Amino acid sequence: MTKKNDIFVPEGYFQNLEQKLSRIPQKEVRPTTLQKVSPWIAYAASLVILASVGGFIFRKAAEPVLQEEYSWDYLSYLSRSLDPDGMIELEESTELTDEDIVNFLLADNVSVELIAEANYEENY
Amino acid sequence: MKELEQVFNGIVKEYSERLYWHVRRMVASHEDADDLLQEIFLKIWTALPSFRGEAQLYTWVWRIATNETLNHLRKERVRAALRMQSIDAEMERRVEGDPYFNGTEAQRELMKGLTKLPEKQRQVFVMRWWDELSYEEISAITGTSVGALKASYHIAQEKLKLNLSTLEVSK
Repeated sequence: MTKKNDIFVPEGYFQNLEQKLSRIPQKEVRPTTLQKVSPWIAYAASLVILASVGGFIFRKAAEPVLQEEYSWDYLSYLSRSLDPDGMIELEESTELTDEDIVNFLLADNVSVELIAEANYEENY
Repeated sequence: MKELEQVFNGIVKEYSERLYWHVRRMVASHEDADDLLQEIFLKIWTALPSFRGEAQLYTWVWRIATNETLNHLRKERVRAALRMQSIDAEMERRVEGDPYFNGTEAQRELMKGLTKLPEKQRQVFVMRWWDELSYEEISAITGTSVGALKASYHIAQEKLKLNLSTLEVSK
């Protein structure tokens, strides 16, 4: 059996491909230093926000007046306590898609079979 | 910056066609190979300033390409599993319906058998059989020992032989 010539490409494909790939440097502007460190700034900012919100919840929870309201879940409690506009943003930013979860698990070296099995169990 | 662009264009000129054939065998579709190749070269461009020359440029470029391809295949497998579909059936459908295929029936069966191999075995087989890389070159690219590569290739070959002999029997 011969190895080659069983698959082919549209005519002129490789010429176009070379041109298309050579345009990548013009299209893709390299990130500036600020852009490179911005994820870390965002990370630090989110830690500060978490610490603030955590501290706020802790202080509020410690107030006797709130004892009767322990049955609230934290999210509805926060939505009433915090600025509603700010809450909408928080909800949007923390929304996770299946794709996010799968990418995270793959990056964490969880096997494909295990992910698929977990998804199966979740759905059935 | 201009210097990097020159290096990048050199890589495009030198490797784009060869990497295309590798990726095409791995993903079994011209369109997917085309998309993936752009992602690979984007990655090469982004990583180029960090290339320090410890590895040969050839090895470095191939390593990016093979890693990106394996990631792509793993994601496809997961996506198919999440949709409760079989990736093997999807790959077989691609080979069957490939408009850019003009080989014999046996070659088509070989391609189908190839898509059923585990990704790493498929990778080793494609690199050795079609890309005609030496075990030493594959070892430098994948970081796998020559012995393990030979074992992988042998297993893949046996599985594909089985697939082809089934074809002969059914004819």
